[in-house]
Amino acid sequence: MNNAHDDPNAPSSTADAWLEDLMAADAAAQRDAYIDDAGFTARVVEALPAPAALPAWRKPIVAALWAAAAVALALAMPSLVADVMREAHRLLSAQPFSLAGVGIVLAALVALAWGAAAWSLDERG
Amino acid sequence: MAEPSTTDAPLIARALLTDDRHAFAELVKRHQSSVRACLRKLTAGNHALADDLAQETFILAWRNLASFRQEARFSTWLYRIATNCWLAHNRKRREELLGDRVDTLAEDDDTMPHIDDMQSDHARGTTLRVDLERAMAALSEAERAAIVQCYHNDLTHEEAAYVLDCPIGTVKTHVLRGKQKLKAALSAYAR
Repeated sequence: MNNAHDDPNAPSSTADAWLEDLMAADAAAQRDAYIDDAGFTARVVEALPAPAALPAWRKPIVAALWAAAAVALALAMPSLVADVMREAHRLLSAQPFSLAGVGIVLAALVALAWGAAAWSLDERG
Repeated sequence: MAEPSTTDAPLIARALLTDDRHAFAELVKRHQSSVRACLRKLTAGNHALADDLAQETFILAWRNLASFRQEARFSTWLYRIATNCWLAHNRKRREELLGDRVDTLAEDDDTMPHIDDMQSDHARGTTLRVDLERAMAALSEAERAAIVQCYHNDLTHEEAAYVLDCPIGTVKTHVLRGKQKLKAALSAYAR
């Protein structure tokens, strides 16, 4: 890596070599001196903000609202809903689905999502 | 210094996607030494303050993990947060001091010694490292930050510019001015 202090264009002269050596030695000493964790990580994890907890009533309320919306749609447009359901049944019954096949597709999708997330976060170099 | 055996990416993904605190703890373990060492340099050897700022750095990293992009290494991103924490701390302290006594505000850091003290300490035979640390403390915030990033954190000028959020030319200027001040303060060591 072309480090900043190795840059040949850096405006320094050979007369300043002693300072470069001094700073390089100090920097190297710092890099070599590993600071023991000594409970630091535990303190950080303890101080992390608590995960945002959703209220317990949220899920049943959301499910009830979706159910109400579906019922309202069915009551408002019964013929449309019936047509959609009939067509969906026709399509699904024509396909040779199996439980194992569905499982494999789901597993592949999950692996793909995780792989994409890991790749996108991969460090440079 | 212990180098991470594998890339940080899987741990970041776990922490981000599943709110996995164990994965984040592993990231903290990997980088705590370098972040704390960087802050110890920036705070001129104030270990307690450096550790407080390091803790703040990792908590901010946890909160903002979703904003981390691969424009920089994870360690460089942490250095950026750490440097901002240090600058924010100094700013807050300056405001507090200004509120108390404007006339006595000579420098921006309570750990910053005067050149006279440095020379008298040197006369008493303190070590080269202590002298260097004190000379570093006498630099301006920007000069000290630039030198710490370029020398102690071993970053390129480009990476240091990312950490300090300024143009590369500004980084080079700060490094040059800082080195000139160090040269003057440490001239006794010139061979």
